[in-house]
Amino acid sequence: MGTEASSFETSEMLATFLASTPLLSESWRLCNISNTSTPRGFLVEQIGDVGYIAFSGNQTVGNSEPSCRNLVPLMESDGNALFIPLHRLNEGEEPVMVHAGLLQLFLSMHISASFQNQMLALMEKSRPIVITGHSLGGTVATLCTLWLLSYFQSVSSPVQVLCITFGSPMLGNESLSKAVLRERWGGNFCNVVSKHDIMPRMLFAPQASFTQLHFLLQYWHLSMNCPRFGMLAQLHDEDKADLFRLVLCHLEVIAQAGEEVAKSLFWPLGSYLFCSEEGAICVDNAVSVIKMMHLLLMTGSPYSCVEDHLKYGDYVEKVSLQYLNQGSFMQADIPESSYESGVAISLQSLGIYSQETVAKPVKDCLKTARRMGLRPNLNAAKLAVSLAKINPYRAQIEWYKASCDESDDHMGYYDCFKLRDNSKKGAKVNLNRHKLASFWNNVIKMLDNNELPYDFNRRAKWVNTSQFYKLLVEPLDIAEYYRTGMHHVKGHYLKQGRERRYEIFDRWWRERKVSVDENNKRSKLASLTQDSCFWARVEEAREWLDNIRSESDPRNLALLWENIDAFEKYARKLVDNKEVSRDVLLKNSSYNLWVEEWSKLKSQLKKCSLQFPDYVNGKVVP
Amino acid sequence: MCYKIKLIHFFKRRFEQDQQTKASEPKGMAILNLGENIKINPDIVNKACSLAVGAHNSADKPYILQNIRGSPDLVIFGFPGNWSVNDWYAGESFGETKINLELFPSLRSIGIDEHAKVNKAFLQRFDDKVLTNSDFKNKVQKAVTERKQILFTGHSTGGSIANLATIWFLEKYLRSDNYKISPSSPLCVTFGCPLTGNHIFSHALRRENWARYFINFVMRYDIVPRILLAPVSSILLEFQRVLQFLNEKSINLAHASINSFDASNFYMKVMKNASSVASHAACNLMGNTNLLLETVTNFIPLSPYKPFGTYVLCTGNGKLIILRNPDAVLQLLFYSSQLCKEEECTDVAQRTLQQHFGYESELQDSFQMLNEVYLEPLEQLPLSAESTSDIAIINAALNDLGLSTRARLCLRAAGELEKRKIGNKDSIDLKKTDIEKAMKYLLEDYQLNCGYRGLGCYDAFKLQESSKDFDANVKRLELAGIWDEIVEFLKRYELPDAFEGQSDWIDLGTRYRRLVEPLDIANYYRHLKNEDTGAYMDRGRPKRYKFTQRWFENAKRMPAGSSWESCFWAKVEELRIKTSNAGGFAQVKVKEEVLKLEEQVQKWIKGGELGKDVFLEKSTFMKWWNTLPEEHKSKSCIKNVKDS
Repeated sequence: MGTEASSFETSEMLATFLASTPLLSESWRLCNISNTSTPRGFLVEQIGDVGYIAFSGNQTVGNSEPSCRNLVPLMESDGNALFIPLHRLNEGEEPVMVHAGLLQLFLSMHISASFQNQMLALMEKSRPIVITGHSLGGTVATLCTLWLLSYFQSVSSPVQVLCITFGSPMLGNESLSKAVLRERWGGNFCNVVSKHDIMPRMLFAPQASFTQLHFLLQYWHLSMNCPRFGMLAQLHDEDKADLFRLVLCHLEVIAQAGEEVAKSLFWPLGSYLFCSEEGAICVDNAVSVIKMMHLLLMTGSPYSCVEDHLKYGDYVEKVSLQYLNQGSFMQADIPESSYESGVAISLQSLGIYSQETVAKPVKDCLKTARRMGLRPNLNAAKLAVSLAKINPYRAQIEWYKASCDESDDHMGYYDCFKLRDNSKKGAKVNLNRHKLASFWNNVIKMLDNNELPYDFNRRAKWVNTSQFYKLLVEPLDIAEYYRTGMHHVKGHYLKQGRERRYEIFDRWWRERKVSVDENNKRSKLASLTQDSCFWARVEEAREWLDNIRSESDPRNLALLWENIDAFEKYARKLVDNKEVSRDVLLKNSSYNLWVEEWSKLKSQLKKCSLQFPDYVNGKVVP
Repeated sequence: MCYKIKLIHFFKRRFEQDQQTKASEPKGMAILNLGENIKINPDIVNKACSLAVGAHNSADKPYILQNIRGSPDLVIFGFPGNWSVNDWYAGESFGETKINLELFPSLRSIGIDEHAKVNKAFLQRFDDKVLTNSDFKNKVQKAVTERKQILFTGHSTGGSIANLATIWFLEKYLRSDNYKISPSSPLCVTFGCPLTGNHIFSHALRRENWARYFINFVMRYDIVPRILLAPVSSILLEFQRVLQFLNEKSINLAHASINSFDASNFYMKVMKNASSVASHAACNLMGNTNLLLETVTNFIPLSPYKPFGTYVLCTGNGKLIILRNPDAVLQLLFYSSQLCKEEECTDVAQRTLQQHFGYESELQDSFQMLNEVYLEPLEQLPLSAESTSDIAIINAALNDLGLSTRARLCLRAAGELEKRKIGNKDSIDLKKTDIEKAMKYLLEDYQLNCGYRGLGCYDAFKLQESSKDFDANVKRLELAGIWDEIVEFLKRYELPDAFEGQSDWIDLGTRYRRLVEPLDIANYYRHLKNEDTGAYMDRGRPKRYKFTQRWFENAKRMPAGSSWESCFWAKVEELRIKTSNAGGFAQVKVKEEVLKLEEQVQKWIKGGELGKDVFLEKSTFMKWWNTLPEEHKSKSCIKNVKDS
């Protein structure tokens, strides 16, 4: 496509933008204060319009240390329903899991009166809110942000939330990261990670020695209070070396596995701002983040991986002041291609020289991240083009419906299609039905694989088109299902036969933004029946009606009676509201035949009402 | 390296052209060639500059005026600057407001229908002091009547007033074709002028092909053109003192000084904000897809201002660097005043203020050499400060502005974006034949077929009785696909700014709208979508028709919404529902609407916007009209039109 030649590497530019705003330096300033002055707690401050809440990095995690890698399903531990949007998941996906100890830490904070009061005050005053924290405080901040985002979504509040963490351990599994993307919250998390800091990488390694970690945390906590105190709890050099090797080795395994097999329990969430003495870059693709964590740690040492956790103040100050200087280029010959020289600038910002062995893999990693970032929008644009191409197939089905609805056999397109002979017309419609199905299945597949923009299912164009497709074509799918007798094999359509795509479209339609009143009264019948499963319900009702004649067990009979009664009410309501299309009411449509048969049966029953007095009013007294 | 050869070729050609134009001018008179057919005599720039700087001494006057003899004669209008915080920032953080469309009808984006934003203080000053309460309009009218060349000029905020005066002039005289004497008149020449409008402002001027009339001279370090990139809240502390300094300096060049602490702080704060604006813009230019970018902009208000017109940057060593791409200018404004070394800070900070008053002498020096460098093509600028011989001139110029590799990449990205926009335009230009082919089918085959059936296209399509109707529907969908793509491009500003003013597309869009929109309406009412979503006009009208209607109305200078002939059938359908309801035609309001429609139909039939098939016996329109009371029908204008 030739875009490669004219493309740009932007991870460094984004980091420059972030660094030029006051967000990073203000956040760090508050984290730093919170570390020393509110251990085990948090502090709140208002700066301009922006409200800040900073969680202290000085936290103790219940009885399970963060080393324990103990993940719990969020849904089960979320007794107060704080994270409802994260409970939804796609089929086949592992449930959303988070670190048990860290979740407990947040939950215990969340129920405290002081937290509740201060959050309330903060939300009243400020439009946007920054939630920040260093070390363990950052992970608490992440949970707090997830809670606030869930809450704001439930009350449709426009308040913006941004989470900025500094050197924080991972919080949850890949499903969590995916769920965050699905809710379009990926842009609300910015994790600052210094080049060698071991803390954010720690949970990639299984259970490091408990005592080592205990000492490490203690050393960090004391150093946060006062650098001199740290000396009291210095770790042995061998321990540091062990830890460094352990983490590096496990990171390597995960990083090399790539995207195919997610072998890690924990998974990055949101964007990562990697900073060095020379600058910073910002990456959001999770696989690239893991790779980058590994590659950068490779350039570190047992000493730096521990000390780097305490150096965020220096890093933040440095990147915040970079804007003033032109910055000189270390590399002698600058590549002519825009992309390559952008990569060279990124490498320089990470403090990596082009001769270093990690230079090449870092470059590859940036390349992948960029490609992954561009893909969704490109795919969406391509899909729009293919949609335009398949639209005529849909138009042909519309045409088929119209001609069936008007034909002399008064059956409507559902029954016509179900009872079709081998005519060319029916075959063609069937072919179109398949073509449309494969188009939409492909859309769903791409969505599942995160290959489409995260707000794809909120875009009016796609919500409306999918709804229209569903209303028009699902009846044909139902017809085909019963035509081929699948209901004998698998069971009824509604329970066993409905394609997943329709359920997804139902959800899109339900979750769309609805403006003003929807309760316009219809003056004429709708052009498409508004419940696309209407015919499947008719089929079930037909079966009940058949069964009622042969059923003798009064309890079963009562059940059938109830079912039929419910269906009749449902159908009548649709018809009364004119929410059915004309084909439903045609003389020979399955529905109409059913209605006739049902009233016949009822009048028969009326005749023998002496025998079954209780059935007449549709009420059953067993 | 093929591209290098191309580049050498390009610069060689450019150089030869320049030599030619210089040679063709009368001897002894150097001409400043700004491209796009704009040439200007440096003497005139010098005179304008003196007038602009001198205007500060008459700060109480709305403008000063100078006549210069020549062929033809020239009138220069100079506007003084102002030096209080409220003259820069009125109210909100960046002091911007929606443009006054009565005064500046062109300053909007057409399809999206978004109004430009402009600095409120500048707009108010121009409106109150210049336009309403002075003899400015008369003096301009006099100059126009006497066929004089006209030049507006200003230094500092005076430049922004000159910008607005020029646009007012263009709206009044050029749009109505009342004044065309030379491609270089009117001109607006500013010196160290703050940014005035937002991206739509800039977009609209380029669409109207007016950006060429604006020439902005900016000294490399002059802080004034950068100030509005910072919100007033962030600089308030130092801004008072800076303005005081500028004010004293404007009166007496020698007797002003400023505390270097204030100067440095001011410089650093403005630069920090400029850095946010520039790096944010660069992320977008370079196609960054990270969602964080969007989130952060909700936390950090970014300056809405964007440059427009031709920028001439004075490097301080006599070179004049010329560029026009607004995205590139914005980047340049930031990067060219970065520090080379940290130690420079105090020194550069002083220079950023001093240079604001250095235009007269700098330009006199520069014009003696007349060493112009065009930064074009942007997407091929050299990235390394180490010069390679073939592009040495450009590279030297970039070095003179202190542009790092990062800065050069940003300029390239601005160039690439423009190139991509042109590529998008080329790709949709290729679809013109598809559009014409589908429209030809509808216009000829389909219309003919409908005619056989005694129906107009609208009614035939609504009934959908023949397979031809199905074919027409497929064509409708095909066309919708293409036009929706164009609308998407426009919504993201991914077509060249000029697109919505291009007559071939306006014409095609209008023909498309008149031909196909009735089919969309037919489809809408056939499927009773009015009952699902509301009346077509209010809720159901696709953007592709709204956009094309606005293009047409803008091109023809028609009031917004007046060219709704393609919605005729929707109006008929809605009136049909209204008159069949209880009360119906007897209601005064309904009757008024009917009369209005009838009047329009008469006009449209005469003008050919509407076909005669609306009067066919079986047409929805006639069927409805026939249900109206006899008394009304007998007096209706439709009666005559229909029978004639």
